Amino acid sequence: MSPKTRIRKVLVANRGEIAVRVMRTCREMGLATVAVYSDADRGALHVRKADEAVHVGPSPARDSYLVVEKLVDAAKKTGADALHPGYGFLSENAALARACAAAGLTFVGPPPEAMETMGVKTVARRHMNAAGVPTVPGSEGPIADEQEAKAFADALGYPVMIKPAAGGGGKGMKKVEREADFLALWDSARRESAGAFGDERLYLEKFLDEPRHVEIQIFADEHGDAIHLGERECSVQRRQQKVVEESPSCILDERMRQAMGEVAVRAAKAVGYRGAGTVEFLVDAARSFYFLEMNTRLQVEHPVTEMITGLDLVRMQLEVAGGGRLVPQEAVARRGHAIEARIYAEDPGRGFLPSPGKITYLRVPGGPGIRDDSGVYAGWVVPQYYDPLISKLVAWAPTRDQAIERLIRALGEYTVHGITTNVAYLAAVLDHPAFRSGAYDTQFCERYAADLVRPPDPAFEDVALIAAAVEAYKRDRAAAEASVARAGSVAASRSNWARLGRARALRGGGA
Amino acid sequence: MSRYVALLDGGRREEPIEVRQTAPGQFEVRLRGRVHVVDAFRHDYGTLSLIVDTASYTAMLDERDSHVRVRVRDSVYPIEILDEKKLRMRRAAGGFTVEGRQTLAAPMPGRIAKVQVKVGDAVREGQALLVVEAMKMENELRSPKGGRVVEVLVTEGQVVEGNAKLCVVE
Repeated sequence: MSPKTRIRKVLVANRGEIAVRVMRTCREMGLATVAVYSDADRGALHVRKADEAVHVGPSPARDSYLVVEKLVDAAKKTGADALHPGYGFLSENAALARACAAAGLTFVGPPPEAMETMGVKTVARRHMNAAGVPTVPGSEGPIADEQEAKAFADALGYPVMIKPAAGGGGKGMKKVEREADFLALWDSARRESAGAFGDERLYLEKFLDEPRHVEIQIFADEHGDAIHLGERECSVQRRQQKVVEESPSCILDERMRQAMGEVAVRAAKAVGYRGAGTVEFLVDAARSFYFLEMNTRLQVEHPVTEMITGLDLVRMQLEVAGGGRLVPQEAVARRGHAIEARIYAEDPGRGFLPSPGKITYLRVPGGPGIRDDSGVYAGWVVPQYYDPLISKLVAWAPTRDQAIERLIRALGEYTVHGITTNVAYLAAVLDHPAFRSGAYDTQFCERYAADLVRPPDPAFEDVALIAAAVEAYKRDRAAAEASVARAGSVAASRSNWARLGRARALRGGGA
Repeated sequence: MSRYVALLDGGRREEPIEVRQTAPGQFEVRLRGRVHVVDAFRHDYGTLSLIVDTASYTAMLDERDSHVRVRVRDSVYPIEILDEKKLRMRRAAGGFTVEGRQTLAAPMPGRIAKVQVKVGDAVREGQALLVVEAMKMENELRSPKGGRVVEVLVTEGQVVEGNAKLCVVE
């Protein structure tokens, strides 16, 4: 590291599990940390984990976590010399990277120019086309007018995807099946995009049949080196939100992995990239791959890559941001199989309605090969304002089959009370024959929706009823005993009241 | 001995249960015509270790406002336990129905992203009435019945608590 960029204190401009994740590595590296928090997050775990914490405004993200000046001011106030943006929020916003540079802060991410080229999805598509990388057919740039957008979609042929130009992570992304639904979904996508990214530009893409979503993790340093860390298979998605991710992908062989890795590295080098990035591809039934987009930040599912490479991607981000050099490509080894399941505060039994609220009890799994990246604790009230992701549970094992069994086992140990989570849904995904066989695509959750929201097993209904009845009996008995005890103590306390009155009179005081 | 009725499937199914304590932690539970010998040991909060006849189970009890969600193995059973008094009150109040005035309540805390109807509008069953945004996702709330909108209690942009009254259809 060169002395001028030496990092000593990192402001983490995010919340939830990713803020906690970043701070953990900072602690291991001996770096001080600064948390930022909104009104709703005063009691959040990431505030507790940080050495310092700065309040940045009201609960809605647009008034706190999405305000560049407040984040930069918080860094200045605490003397932080670097800012880690996490994922989501402003992590792909070039204005934040520029503001950091102007304030003398190291932004843990790519240069703003590379973010603009890659972060704006439509510009990235143009660049990739120019570099000879195949892309999914769609609009050249964002479309402002909804009628013009509809005309484009009509010409492209349904189904089409509406996507936010500034975003990622499924927010504001809509699949339009029929012409009749277009305008309503366009409107909804624009509102979600504005709310999530502070940017309402949308573009259109043709929806490919039976596509798989495979992404390549890349890293680049400022010395001109770039490497890839292999793929993650992210085809298990619901409403364009990833649910389960794994590596290796069942459809990649070593030759295809190398080909995709090289394309991804070329893409990064072409735009002067630095830091961690992910190049997303759609792979069709014929195993042709198309550039989808590049995410110019750490991904939610980065632990999958960490588990099979043994690397700490946040540490690498911080080292590269401080001017450090990457390990050479040959030094990256991949071992075994890793699968991540995203635990969301949502109720699959009620159409996946969000389930914010107080966590009254929490017990997380442990044992061999298990990692739980959580952002919550028992007693925490999961706020309604932010993403429903509360934790990521990751299993590593020597083989895919063992990793599946291990993750199902760990999900069985995951206990969250007070709010409803998708833990049982995740176990059903992993246990589904189509998932186990590896022959699944991005339509998996939709196609097998009925299999994945399983009714409770009738075999154990009697046990559940017995448990509920015994607990009710114990509660009623305890209440009855308490009431008898109260009745007894009322009689006993009469003399106490009299004694208290006399004592007060002696002191000459009223109360 | 205590008599209870368990409501399953949101009140669509009833099972009578009798519980008799025979010793500390020892119970006889009569269910579906069978008497089970049950040894119940309470671990930490919400965790009950049950030995039913000879089989060993862990039941996790998640108490909510009106019901308890019991997890056994990989299944979760939402159950409402009523004693005889509560059951009589429930029967008097009437069962599960979509007759008459139906109040649409917020299924979770959130922000009203869109109000798609106004007082006096005729609506179909299943028609979207409002959009509530929570945790950055939009959720459409649909009419439980065909009829007419008689009350709209919220405006766009308003933040609401869970269970807040939003709209009434008659």
